[in-house]
Amino acid sequence: MANDESPATHGTSRLGWLALIPAAILLLAWWATAGGERIVVAAWPWIPSLGISLAFRIDGLALQFILLIAGIGTLVFVYAAGYMAGVKQRLRLFGALVAFMLAMLGTVSADNLLLLFVFWEMTSLTSFLLVGFKHEKAAARRSAQQALMVTAGGGLVMLAGFVMLGAIAGTYSISGLLASAPAWLDHPALPLALGCVLVGAFAKSAQMPFHFWLPNAMAAPTPVSAYLHSATMVKLGVYLMARLDPALHELALWQWLLVGFGGLTAAWSMLLALRERDLKRILAWSTVSALGTLTMLIGLPGTVAPGAMAAFLLAHALYKAPLFFVAGNVDHCTGSRSIDDLAGLAPRMPWTAAAAAIAAVSMAGLPFSLGYFAKDLIDIARAEGGVFVWVGYASLAVGAVSVAVAAVAAVRIFWHRSGRPVPAQIHEAGWAMRLPPLLVGGVGLVFGLQPEWLAPLLDHSAVAMGGVPPSTVIGVGTIGLDGMTGVVATLGAGIAIYLGWDRLHRTLERGFPLIDRVGMVAHYERMLKAIPALAGWTTRHLQGGRASAYTLLAAGSMGLALAVAALLLAPPAAPAPALPAGTAPALVAIALGAVAALFVRSSLLLLLASGLVGFGSAGVFLFVGAPDLAFTQFTVEVAFIVILVAVLLRTGATRESVAVPRQRLHELARASIATGGGLLAAWMVLAGLSGPADRALSDYFAATAVPEAYGRNVVNVILVDFRAVDTMGEIAVVAAAFLAVLPLLLALKHGKKETTR
Amino acid sequence: MNQDVVILRLAVRLLYPIILLASVWLLLRGHNAPGGGFIGGMTAVAATTLLALSASSQAALARLPGGAARLTSAGVLLALLSGLPGLAVGAYMTHLWATVPLGFTELKVSTVLLFDLGVYLAVWGALGGLCAHAIDLDEDTP
Repeated sequence: MANDESPATHGTSRLGWLALIPAAILLLAWWATAGGERIVVAAWPWIPSLGISLAFRIDGLALQFILLIAGIGTLVFVYAAGYMAGVKQRLRLFGALVAFMLAMLGTVSADNLLLLFVFWEMTSLTSFLLVGFKHEKAAARRSAQQALMVTAGGGLVMLAGFVMLGAIAGTYSISGLLASAPAWLDHPALPLALGCVLVGAFAKSAQMPFHFWLPNAMAAPTPVSAYLHSATMVKLGVYLMARLDPALHELALWQWLLVGFGGLTAAWSMLLALRERDLKRILAWSTVSALGTLTMLIGLPGTVAPGAMAAFLLAHALYKAPLFFVAGNVDHCTGSRSIDDLAGLAPRMPWTAAAAAIAAVSMAGLPFSLGYFAKDLIDIARAEGGVFVWVGYASLAVGAVSVAVAAVAAVRIFWHRSGRPVPAQIHEAGWAMRLPPLLVGGVGLVFGLQPEWLAPLLDHSAVAMGGVPPSTVIGVGTIGLDGMTGVVATLGAGIAIYLGWDRLHRTLERGFPLIDRVGMVAHYERMLKAIPALAGWTTRHLQGGRASAYTLLAAGSMGLALAVAALLLAPPAAPAPALPAGTAPALVAIALGAVAALFVRSSLLLLLASGLVGFGSAGVFLFVGAPDLAFTQFTVEVAFIVILVAVLLRTGATRESVAVPRQRLHELARASIATGGGLLAAWMVLAGLSGPADRALSDYFAATAVPEAYGRNVVNVILVDFRAVDTMGEIAVVAAAFLAVLPLLLALKHGKKETTR
Repeated sequence: MNQDVVILRLAVRLLYPIILLASVWLLLRGHNAPGGGFIGGMTAVAATTLLALSASSQAALARLPGGAARLTSAGVLLALLSGLPGLAVGAYMTHLWATVPLGFTELKVSTVLLFDLGVYLAVWGALGGLCAHAIDLDEDTP
C-alpha cells in the first residue's frame, strides 16, 4: 500500500482555491436553511413531447444533501490541494472533482426522474475517472471498471424502473409522483418497477448483493475516497430511496426489502471489516455498514425513522470523512495503510491524532457526541418500528464493531505501542491536510454538544420525508437507564472486539476462502470473463469474414421481417394494376435478369444479370410516367456496374467463381431465400397498393409547384425547393462517402505499385 | 487495354464534350422538364467514366474542374450557401427568383439554380472521381 505520490509532503497546490466554489454554495444553502422551511422550484422545458423537463425542486431533504456536498466538498478541495501537491496530473483530478460535485448537486435537486437519472449516471462516470486516477496501476483500473460496471449498470436497470414508474404513475415529475401516490400503489406492475429502481439504488449505495465494489474503490486517492465513498456519492442510493419513501412507506414489500437488505448489509459488512488490514478498507466496510443502517431506517415504518435517518446521515458524514482524511494523512506521511505497520504515531502526528479522536468518539456513539444523538433517534425509531424486532439485535452487533473500528482508527495506530521504534522521518502533514479533518470533526463535536442547533436542518429534512421533526421527539426522557445500558453494552462488546481484533482476524481468514468461492466477487469475475467469451463466440459464428455469409444473414433476416409483416398485413384485395404495353420488354428483362442471377456462377455474369434487372426497372419507370426516376435509375446503374466491375477485377474475384460453397444444399437454401424474399416483397407491394392511398402530400406538391416554386417538374421542385434541406443532407453524405473512400482507393493503388515493383 | 480500342478513344474524344453539354442542358431544363442537378450530374459522371475507360483514369480525373475532391466540396458549399439569401425574406432555403431582360428574351435566375448547380457539381465530383479511381484499380491487374 505504499504511497508513491508524496515527494512534496509539504506545499499546497493553488488549485485549492477551487474550494471557493463549494464554499459559496455552502453559504447559500446555509442561508436558505436559516430562512425557515421553503421550497425552491425551477423548471425549463427540455423534451416536452416525452414529459421530460429540466425541473428542479429543493426541499429540506435536498437541502441537507446540498449542505453535505458543499460542506464536505469545500474541505475536500482544501485537503486535495495538500494531498495532491506533488502530483503531475492534479489538474485532471480537480476538474473531475468539480464535475462530480455539480453532478451530485444536480442529482439531489432534480425533480424529474429522467433528469435525476442523467445526473446520476454523470456521477458514475466522473467517479470512474476519479477512482481510476492512478491509471498506470492495474488495480486502480480494475477497481474503476468495477465501480463503473456496478453503479452505471445498476443505473441502467434503474432507468427501466423509472420508465415503468413513470408509466404507472402517469408522470416523470418526482413531486407529481409523490402527490398522486395512493392512486397507483396497487398497480400490478409496481413491484417490478420498484425492484428495478432498487437495483440501481442498492448498486450505488453498495447494498448487498452489490456491496463488494466500494472497498475496492479505495484505490482512489484519499480525497476522492473521503468525498465520494463516505460522504456523498454512495449516499445517492439512500437519497433516492428517502425521496420516494413518502409515497411507498406503507407498502409491506418496500419495508421488507429495505429493512431486509439494509439490515443484512449492515451486519455482514461489519464482519468483512474484521478481515481487513488496510485502514482505508476497514473504514470502507464500516461505510457499507452505515449505508445498510440508513437503508434499513428508510424502510422502517413509523414517523420517527425519517428524522433518525437524517440525523445518522449527517453524523456519519461528519465522522467518516475526517477518518478518511486521517487515513490519508497516515498513508501520506508513513507510506503505509496497513494496521500491522502502524503504531504509536500520536507523538509525531498530534493534530491528526486529535482529529481521529474527535471523529472516533462520534463513531463509537459515546454520550454527548453527534453519533450518540443519532443512535438515540435510531433507538426510538426502532421501538416504533414494531414488527422488525430482530433489527435491534443486529444493530447491537453493528454498533459494537463500529466501536472497534473507531478504536482501531483512533487508538491503535496512534497510541498503541508495538515495541518497534517509529521511524524518525515521520512527521505531521501540512496544514492543508491537518485542518480539514479537525474542522469536520470539530463541527460534529459542536453539534454533538448542542444538537438543538441542528433543528432547522434535520426537522425540514425529516418533514420532507414524511416524518415528524426530530426536535419534537428527542429529549423526552430518552437518556434513561435503558439507553445507558445499551450504550454500555455496545461499548463493552466493542472494546472486547478491539482487543481481540487480531485473533478474530485470524479466525475469519480461515473460514472466508470457502465463502469467497461463492461470493459476489467471484460471480462478478465470472461475468467479466463471460462477456468477452460471448463476444468471441458471436464474432466467430456470425462474422466469419465471408461476404456471402453476411449477405445470407442480412437477406435472411430481411426475408423473415417481411414474412412477419406479411402475416400482419391484410392480403392484397385488388388485382395488380395494369401496366402500359410498352413496359413488356422491360418486364421480360427484369425476369430474365432475376432468373439468371439464380444460376450463373461467375461473379461478372452475376453482376450483369443484376444490372439487367436495374435497367429493366428503369425501362418500366420510363413507361409509367416517371422519366426523372428512369433517368436516375439508368445513370446510377451505369456507375454501379462500372465501380463493381473494377472492384471485382481488382480483387481477382472474376478468376474464380462466386465464393459460395459448392454443396447443392447450400445453393438450394440460398436460392430459396432469394426467391422467397422477392416474392414476399412483391406481395407486400401489392398489399400496400390495394389499400387507400393518402394523397394529401402529392396533391399539395402538384398544386403548389407552379404558383409557389415556379417549376413544372414536380419531382425536381420537391428536390430543390420543398425538400431542399433533405437534398442538402444527401449530397453532403455523397461527398463525405467519397472523401472517406478516396484515401482507401489511393492506398490500394500505391500498395499495388509497390508490390509490382 | 487502352491500346486496343482506338475507335472507342476517337469516339469518346468527340462524345465527351457532347455528353457534358447534354448534362448541362439537363441541369438547366430540370425545373420544368425531366432533368435536374442529380440527373445532370450523373450524366456528367457517365462522360467521365467513358473517358476513364477509353483513355486513362488520370486523363479523366484531370478534366474534373479543380480535381475530384475540390469539385465535390465546392458543390456542397454552393448548395449550402444558396440557401442563405432566403434568410433575408424568410427561412433558410427559401428560394428567390428574378427575371433579367436580355432584349431578345428574358432570363430567369434564381437561387434554385444555384442549389441545383451545387448538387450537379457534388455528384459529378464524388461519383465521377469514384468511378475514375475505381477503373484505375484494375488497369494493370496481372
